[in-house]
Amino acid sequence: MSRYRRRRIVNRLMEVIATVAALVAVAVLAIVVVSVAKRAAGAISWDFFTKPQALFGQPGGGIANALVGTVLLVLMAGAMALPVGVLTAIYLTEFAPRRVAVPIQVVIDVLAGLPTIVIGIFVYALLVIGHTQSGIAGAFALAIIMLPLIARATQEVLLLVPSTLREASLALGVRRWRTVLGVILPTSVGGILTGTVLAVARAAGETAPLLFTSSIFANTVQTDVTKPLPNIPVLIFTYSEQPDPALHEQQRSS
Amino acid sequence: MTPVIDVAQARKDAEPIEKNDVVFDIQKLTASYGKQPAISDVDLEIYRNVITAVIGPSGCGKSTFIRCLNRMNDLVPGARIEGKILYQGDDLYASGVDPVEVRRRIGMVFQKANPFPKSIYDNVAWGPRVLGMRKDLDGRVEKALRGAALWDEVKDRLKKNALSLSGGQQQRLCIARAIAVEPDVLLLDEPASALDPIATSAIEELMHELKRDYTLVIVTHNMQQAARVADMTAFFSLDVDESRRTGVLVEYDGTAKIFTNPGDKRTEDYVTGRFG
Amino acid sequence: MRTAFQQDLDVLEATLQEEGELVLRALRGAIKALETRDEELADEVIAFDDDVDERYVRIEEGIQLLLARQTPVATDLRLVLAILHVNLHLERMADYCVTIAKLTKLVPEVDPGPRFVEGFEEMGSRCEEMIRIALASFSNRDLEGAESLVELDELIDRANRRVVERIMELGTDPEMREYGLRMVIVSRALERIGDHAVDIGEQTAYLLTAEFREFTDASHPSHRNA
Repeated sequence: MSRYRRRRIVNRLMEVIATVAALVAVAVLAIVVVSVAKRAAGAISWDFFTKPQALFGQPGGGIANALVGTVLLVLMAGAMALPVGVLTAIYLTEFAPRRVAVPIQVVIDVLAGLPTIVIGIFVYALLVIGHTQSGIAGAFALAIIMLPLIARATQEVLLLVPSTLREASLALGVRRWRTVLGVILPTSVGGILTGTVLAVARAAGETAPLLFTSSIFANTVQTDVTKPLPNIPVLIFTYSEQPDPALHEQQRSS
Repeated sequence: MTPVIDVAQARKDAEPIEKNDVVFDIQKLTASYGKQPAISDVDLEIYRNVITAVIGPSGCGKSTFIRCLNRMNDLVPGARIEGKILYQGDDLYASGVDPVEVRRRIGMVFQKANPFPKSIYDNVAWGPRVLGMRKDLDGRVEKALRGAALWDEVKDRLKKNALSLSGGQQQRLCIARAIAVEPDVLLLDEPASALDPIATSAIEELMHELKRDYTLVIVTHNMQQAARVADMTAFFSLDVDESRRTGVLVEYDGTAKIFTNPGDKRTEDYVTGRFG
Repeated sequence: MRTAFQQDLDVLEATLQEEGELVLRALRGAIKALETRDEELADEVIAFDDDVDERYVRIEEGIQLLLARQTPVATDLRLVLAILHVNLHLERMADYCVTIAKLTKLVPEVDPGPRFVEGFEEMGSRCEEMIRIALASFSNRDLEGAESLVELDELIDRANRRVVERIMELGTDPEMREYGLRMVIVSRALERIGDHAVDIGEQTAYLLTAEFREFTDASHPSHRNA
């Protein structure tokens, strides 16, 4: 057949294959979400969010304590990771000479790829052995996870700022730091925020690090950060090991 | 503006118009990025309150030259210079000279207008604010905008974002921003090359007024613009042989002489368009 | 826009008009010297030509600079070219005045009679009038004024012919004959001044219409373009 017709057929074929692949991907996600939702719907209620865990064997209860704990952990982790991440990114893009920038970049990339369980064990060894588990240790572990994400997102956004803007400011006789503060950062805020939100979302769901640092907790709401804080990921984990089907339902709702 | 006839009388010989003070005394300047010198052995003097144009084919080092004058080349890794640049008698590159302070006194306007993504007011006010010139900021902003022939067009919308202005207005805003920090010199790197003829004409008119208070050096690839606007013209060209490829200063003289009777054949070839 | 350019043009034109005034003064001086046989005045007229030449050179250089630096087009270009030509014509007129003055000095001491001198007075006045009209119509961009110069030139041509007739009547005395020869040249000079004034009118027409044409053409005497 003519080359033109053949090309058209191949083109059509590729379109179809691509569409089917996309549909498959969406379908997989849909199946997961739907199956969890179906089995979780029953447990979601106002009580679910406001009551702490029920005592062993008792019906009802909720995840209030874990909710509070997770929020606290994430906030602390953010407070640790955000400044360090942003400043690191600023240093890398604006100030570091090549010889210094390259190794630091490598370190950040490695950090981003570290299995979170390794991070958990590291923090365990650093902060938990010899003391107790604590919210701080948990937050620290989460911060390590968040750091490379924030740093990378910030870097990307900083690099997007056209060099002409930097030149304009420097040509006025404004020092480097002031240029970063007054011109480059304000332009990049949007991207930094996005990066932070993504990092937060990631950190809020990490289980492994918290298993080592903040997993032994009671079923009451508690906010003392020097002690382990209840949190949702660990809750999901522990519930999944329980025989009680009601808890399974709560687990899925979480 | 001295009428062209009197000036013609005064320019019977090759001397520049009036030997005002020398603002820049450039001696045997060679600037390189890495191994190859972008410009070599440049000697010239730039006079106060005069518009000096730098012309030449692309790649001849015009932008490199002008960036040496406010130490913007320091920002390029691997850039270095040999020779001397004396600004008002002081060595610009002496150890102990703060390049940041240099850039406050010697301002620069770039080829593509690059206003900050702030309001019009903040664009002009930010520099002075940051550099400690906080008294009467409003007055400063108005003065700078008037100096850039922009005040009447923007005085009712100072809080609007600078990016809402047209290309020509943005460039004038960049000029206002530069003069707000009260420099002595304004360097303009092809300031009108991205603008349409009317906006270009506005910038050229503006330059005539600015030269009363500032010394201007303008790089342009548009010869006619140099002919219209400049009092002194420096022609750079490429010197290519087996060992090197570098920009050199071929001729530097009153604009009248360069465009009616240039001394060097290379200049003649370039301005008549018979180059290459 | 382009205020510097406009200023340059204005200065050029102003200098041109200045030169025109100088030419008028030279002409008046030359005629007076001729009538009264005033050799001192003739010398002044000759020296005075330097002033005209100085303006001439200034305008030439100014035009060169303007063309090089401002790249004029359209009306601006025609104006510059017109100024260039008018400048030339004015300078030639001044040279003819010098010729008249020189001849005044050379001429022998004879008295040709009052009617003779009247002839030159008349031609002189006509020339003056033509120069004034030429300069004014250039300045005011007046096409009709410029075209009217042709008729005035006719009058000068007729006056020239009358003077030549009178010269022929002067007689055979050698001194008279010498006088006559010199006066032919003077008459011719005045007639040429008139022609140059018409040329200035043609430049005005060129400036206004972008068309260069001669108002009258010797090879087509019946064909009057004006």
